[in-house]
Amino acid sequence: MATSSHSNPDPASDDANTTPPVTTPRQHAASSLLHQASTPDAIVATVTPGMPPAAQQAAADEHDVDGAARANALSNMQCVVDLADSVVCIADDLHERILQEIASYNDRTMPDEQKALMRALTDDERLLRQYAHALYADAATFVIQDLKEPQHRLMTLTADAAEKIRRIGVIGEVTGLVGGILLLVGSIARGQFSQVGAALEKIQLHNATLKTLKPGSTAKT
Amino acid sequence: MARRVLVLVGLLVAGCASTGQVSLGEVREFANASARLGGYAELSRRYRDTYERESPYLSPQAERVARDTDARRRAVFDDFVAIQKTLVLYMQTLSSLAGDGRYDLSGRIDDLGSGLKAMTDSGLQQRHVAAYTGMTRLLTRVITSRYQNRSVDTMVRDGNADVQTLIDAMIVLTRIYEKANENERKTVLGLFNAEIPMINRNTDRMLVTLAKVHLQNKTAEYKLIDRRYKLAQQGLTKVALGHQKMRENMDKLSSEETRHMLAGYVHDLNLIRDALSGE
Repeated sequence: MATSSHSNPDPASDDANTTPPVTTPRQHAASSLLHQASTPDAIVATVTPGMPPAAQQAAADEHDVDGAARANALSNMQCVVDLADSVVCIADDLHERILQEIASYNDRTMPDEQKALMRALTDDERLLRQYAHALYADAATFVIQDLKEPQHRLMTLTADAAEKIRRIGVIGEVTGLVGGILLLVGSIARGQFSQVGAALEKIQLHNATLKTLKPGSTAKT
Repeated sequence: MARRVLVLVGLLVAGCASTGQVSLGEVREFANASARLGGYAELSRRYRDTYERESPYLSPQAERVARDTDARRRAVFDDFVAIQKTLVLYMQTLSSLAGDGRYDLSGRIDDLGSGLKAMTDSGLQQRHVAAYTGMTRLLTRVITSRYQNRSVDTMVRDGNADVQTLIDAMIVLTRIYEKANENERKTVLGLFNAEIPMINRNTDRMLVTLAKVHLQNKTAEYKLIDRRYKLAQQGLTKVALGHQKMRENMDKLSSEETRHMLAGYVHDLNLIRDALSGE
């Protein structure tokens, strides 16, 4: 709606160079955020050479921004958004897995202990979403912390973990893995980087355990 | 000598272009449509109030994290809104310069306040803060001089870089608001999707019914709000592009092509504004 041929914005056209490489489908939405958001500036940059010298000087005085620092700040902000997006993805996968488990009972009554487990996992899912919220708030305020390293490791690990959450047969095994992810994400969201290593180890341990379980085996035996 | 004559002719043409009432009509309309766009302020408030809406659905542990995030959102809210207020005042000032008497700007300088609250706390990027400062300085100069010695073209030329930077900040923030809203939707609706099937349908029939009604209402609420994020982003992009085009075509404001182009932006902005206010 509300477009006209002469004023239709095409954010994808000018600033391909400013966009970081898209590495996973998970990051796609987040990358487009940076990609589109930088468009008005890209336009400014292209017309600056046409500005009168006085105006250029004024602009330079008032916008004395180091290009590298700005790119760095944007990239850090994008890292936080990517991280939040990946936490949302894990929560989504966990949610799907919970619903699958519940649906598998059809009209049969779910035992109370199984209900308790489902509720505990739902609580974990909502806690994950709160950590994602905390990270979005960080991104919104551009409180920059050097998250690149933990963020990269988390991306690799959680892609694997999320897949397992989707496919694992025995849902009880998910809890340990989710616990590790919560610890990791919570540490990062609170800026407690000293705990990141321990949390990663925990996730790796669970991943190794989960590898021995056959996906697709029935949940209720 | 010939060059002097050319410069003189050039100045005369520029003078006509920037003071002629007819040729500034589209500038005025564009500035008015930009000032009245709406969307961003409302979505900023919605983002600020995330915790209020979410808290009934949270576990105690999640709520502790949520409270902390809530405090951080509230701490920066004023800064997020100050950016938009400044942009609106800029557009109203531009409209006044273009011959529109509808805005009384004399008391508006106070609205600009003393800059963004705290660069360290608000966390807005340096360039956004610089643009905000530059913009408030420009507006103060223009408004306190009662528009004398300032013309539309100098205002647009001096203000364009800051306008672009501030709109850029608003678009980035609106996209983050959108992501947070999506996460909130999943938090709220997800709880019902998991809990409703686990309720005993025979003994808790009323509970199931009420839960379903609540789920329906919340689903409708999120569906409505989803659209507003896209509309607000479209509107902001139009304002940024329209101002940019105006800056590029400042020397030919009277040309049919430029006027047609600006009228196109005004048309689009009005459509977006109607869509935002009609829901």
